[in-house]
Amino acid sequence: MALGPRTRILPLAVAATAVAAAVSLVLAIGQTEQPFVVAGFCLLALVASALRSVHTERPVELVSVVLAAVYVVAGPAAAVVVAAVGSLAQARAPIIKRVFNSAQRIVSAAAAAVVYAALNGPVGDEVFHRVPDAIIAVTAATFALLLVNALLLTMILGLERGRHAVAEFLRHVVRTTAVPLLGYGLLGLSMAVIWLGGLNIFAAFLILGPLVVARWALSQYAAERRAQSATLRAFIQLIEVKDLYTRGHSERVSAGVGLLGRQLALSEDRQNALEHAGLLHDVGKVGVPTSIIQKPGRLDDSEMDAIRLHPARGVELIGNIPFLEEVKSAVLHHHEKYDGTGYPAGLSGVNIPYFARIIGIVDAFDCLTSTRSYRPARGVEETLAILEQDKRSHFDPELVDAFVQVIRAQGWQAAEVVQPAPDASVQFSIDHDDLSLGEGGGASGSAAGPG
Amino acid sequence: MTGLADTDRISTRNLGSGVVILVAGAAVGLAAFLITVRHGISEWSFAVTFGGLIAIGEMVQFNVYGNRNRAPIATSAALGYAMLRGPALSPPDIAQIITVVGVATMIGVVPRAVAGLQWDVVVSARRVMSVACAAIVFTAVIPVSEGWNGSWRQSMPIILAMLLGVLAAGVTDALIGAGQATERYNRPFPAALRDELVILGQIGMAMGIGAVLLAAGTSLVGLWAPPLVVVPLLLTQFAFRRFASAQRTYRTTVRSMARSTEIAGFSSPGQNARTATLAVAIGNDLGLTPARMEALEYAALLSGVGQLALADPSPGGASLLRTREERQRAAEIGASVIERSGVLDHVAEIVRHSNDPYRHGRANNANIPVESGIVNVALAYEQLVGEGSGQSPDKAMESIGLGIGAEYDPVVVESLRRIVGRGFRF
Repeated sequence: MALGPRTRILPLAVAATAVAAAVSLVLAIGQTEQPFVVAGFCLLALVASALRSVHTERPVELVSVVLAAVYVVAGPAAAVVVAAVGSLAQARAPIIKRVFNSAQRIVSAAAAAVVYAALNGPVGDEVFHRVPDAIIAVTAATFALLLVNALLLTMILGLERGRHAVAEFLRHVVRTTAVPLLGYGLLGLSMAVIWLGGLNIFAAFLILGPLVVARWALSQYAAERRAQSATLRAFIQLIEVKDLYTRGHSERVSAGVGLLGRQLALSEDRQNALEHAGLLHDVGKVGVPTSIIQKPGRLDDSEMDAIRLHPARGVELIGNIPFLEEVKSAVLHHHEKYDGTGYPAGLSGVNIPYFARIIGIVDAFDCLTSTRSYRPARGVEETLAILEQDKRSHFDPELVDAFVQVIRAQGWQAAEVVQPAPDASVQFSIDHDDLSLGEGGGASGSAAGPG
Repeated sequence: MTGLADTDRISTRNLGSGVVILVAGAAVGLAAFLITVRHGISEWSFAVTFGGLIAIGEMVQFNVYGNRNRAPIATSAALGYAMLRGPALSPPDIAQIITVVGVATMIGVVPRAVAGLQWDVVVSARRVMSVACAAIVFTAVIPVSEGWNGSWRQSMPIILAMLLGVLAAGVTDALIGAGQATERYNRPFPAALRDELVILGQIGMAMGIGAVLLAAGTSLVGLWAPPLVVVPLLLTQFAFRRFASAQRTYRTTVRSMARSTEIAGFSSPGQNARTATLAVAIGNDLGLTPARMEALEYAALLSGVGQLALADPSPGGASLLRTREERQRAAEIGASVIERSGVLDHVAEIVRHSNDPYRHGRANNANIPVESGIVNVALAYEQLVGEGSGQSPDKAMESIGLGIGAEYDPVVVESLRRIVGRGFRF
C-alpha cells in the first residue's frame, strides 16, 4: 500500500515547514520596528484567530484581514511576526498538527511579505498618496498568502489522507473561499488607511464589527436551513404514520439519491435539492385517503386513480416553497417510466426530468428491499439484478449502472426488520411503488404494481 | 401566505400615518433641493459616487425579519455621505446631503417599480429623514472646517461624533418604525420600539459601522475608499440576503406543511391560514416579542397536523365537532411530531396545550404559554366565523364570551374583542 511511505514522509514535511517558518521568523524579527504598533496587531491577530475557531471555516479568514493591514501600517516583516503570534491561538489538536498549523501560517505570511516588498508596496503614511499601488500590492500579497497556504495544506492532506481528501479540499474549501478572501485583503487595506488616519487600534472595531455581524447572519442562515430540513423530516414521518410498511421509506430514498447524486458529482445546490426531492417525493400521499393506503386486497379503478394523483398532490403541497424547480418536477414525475408507460404524463426517455429518473430508481429499490404485507423483503443483490433487468423498460440505463455501482461499492442500509412480517391472511395490499408484481419481474403498463 | 406577509404587500397602498412620513420626507427633500439648486453642488465627483452607491443599494434592497425592506448598502452610503470631512474634499452642506440622498433614492426605486418588485416609498422617505438627523447631529459636533489630520486627538472626536450621528439616525428610524408598527399591526408602542431597537443592534449596527468606515476612508484617501470599503458592505448585504431567503423558505415550508391538513380533508381550504392570521393579530395586540410571534404563527398553522395520524377526516374539517379527548390526542400527536424536528420546541409546547380548556390548563399551570390560549381562541373564532360557517362576528363573540374563564383565557378574549371591534375580517 502507498500508505506506508506516505506516513513516513509526513513528519519530514512538517519538520521542513517548521524549519522554513523558524528561519523566516528570525529574519523578520530582525527587521521589525515600531514594537507598540506590532504588539497591537499581535493582539488583534490573537482575537481574530480565537473568533475563527468557533466556526469550522478556513483558518486564514479574519487573520488575513489583520495581516493585510500590517503590511501597510508596519511593513511586511512585521506581518510575519504577527502571523506567528496569531497562530498561537489554535483549537485543541495533537502537537504535530499545531506545529504544522503555526508553521504554515508563518510561511504563508512570509511569502506574502516577500511579494509585498517585491512590488514595493507603500508602508506608513505613504499610502495616502499611493492608493492604487497599495491596492495592487495588498491583493498580490493576499493572493500569495492564499496560494502558499493552499499548497501547504494540499501537501499535508495528500500525505495524511490521500488524494481524495485533496480533491475535497480543493473543491469545497479553496474554490468557495478564494474570492471572498481576496476581498478581505482590501478590507485590511481600509483598516490600514483608517489606522494611519489617526484611529490606531480602534480601526479594528470598525472593520471587525461588520464582519462579526455578517458572520452572525450567515450562522443564522445555516440555522434556518437546518431547521427547514429537520421540519421536513419530522413532517414526512408524520405522513408515514399512516402506513406501517412505508415507515422510513422517504428518508431512505433521500439517503439513496444522496449516494447516487454524489456519484454523479452534482453541484452542492443540486445535491441538496435532490436530497430534498427524495425526501418529499411521496408527500402527496397525505391526500390519499388512509382507507385506500391501508386497504387489503386489490384496488379498484377509482382507488387507483386516487393513488395516481399523489404526485400532483405533492407538487400542490410544496409548490410555494422556493425550492429549485427541479425538486417540483421530480416530485411530479417520479412515477414516469423510461418507456413512457408511467404516470402522470406518460413521459419517456430523457424527457423525464433528471431528478425524477434518479428518484424512480431509488424509490423502486427501497420498495423491493423492504418488507410488504404480501411478501418479505428482497436481498440487495437480488434487487439490483431486478433493476438491471428492467433498466431499459423502466429506468434510465446509465443511471441504473451508476446506482448499481455505488450500492455495490458503499452498501445499503435496508429497512429495519421491525416492520410486521408478511401476513399470509392479507391477500393483496399493494404498495404503489412495487415493481415486483408485473410480468417478468417488473410491472408494466398500469404502472408499478397496481399503484 | 398569511398575516405579516399579506399586510406587507398592501403596505404601499394602505399608508395610514405613512402619508405623514411621506409628506414630511418630501417637504424636507424639496426644501433641501431648492437650497441646493440656488447654491449649486460642490464636489460633483463625490456626489455622483455616493449617489450611485445609494441608487444601486436601493435597487438591491431585500426583506429581512419578515416585516420590511432593508437596503444596507444604500443606508451605509447615505449616512457615509452625511459625515464626510477633509482633507480629501471640502464637505457638502446639509441641504446638498439631503438632496443627493433623496434624488439617488428615487433613481434607485424606479427600476424596482418598473420591474414590479416589492418596494416601499415610506421606507425611502424614512431614510431621507434619518440621514438628515445624522447630518445635523454630526455637523453640530464637528464643524465643516474640521477634518482628519492623522493625529489621535483629532480622529477620536470625529469617530465618536460619527457614531453619535449614526445612533441619532438609527433611533429616529426606530421611533418612526415603531410608530408605524403600532398603527399597522396594532402593536403596543413600547413593544414595537423594543423590536426595532433589537434590529438596530443587528443589521443596524452593521449598516452604521459601514457608514463610518466609508466616511472615514473617503475623507482620508478620497474616491479610492468607496471601492475598498464596499467589500464589508457587500459581505453584510450578502449575508443578510441569504439569511432573509432562508427565513422566507422556512416560513413557506411551514405554511405548506400546514396546508397538508387541507389536502387530506381534515380542514377546509384556508382554514389554517385564517386561524394563523387571527392568532398573529392577537399576538400583535398583546405585544409579544418577534421570536414568540413567529412560534405563535407556526403553532396556529400547525395546530391541526396531529389529525393526519388519525384515521379519517371529520366532515368539513370542523374539529369542534370532535370530542375533546380526540382533539387533545391529535394535539398531543402533533406536538410530539413537531418536537421531533428538534428546532420547534416552543411551537410544540404551544400546540400541545392548544386544546386545553383554560380552567384546567393555564389558570392553574403558569408553565402553559399564553400562546396556547391564543391558538385555542383563534381556532374557535375561525370555526364560528370562517368560510362556510358564516356566523356574524358579534354572534361569535357572544358564544366565545360564554366560555370566558372556563374554556377561554380572559386576557385573550379581551384582546379578540378589541381586534374584532377594530373591524378585523378574515
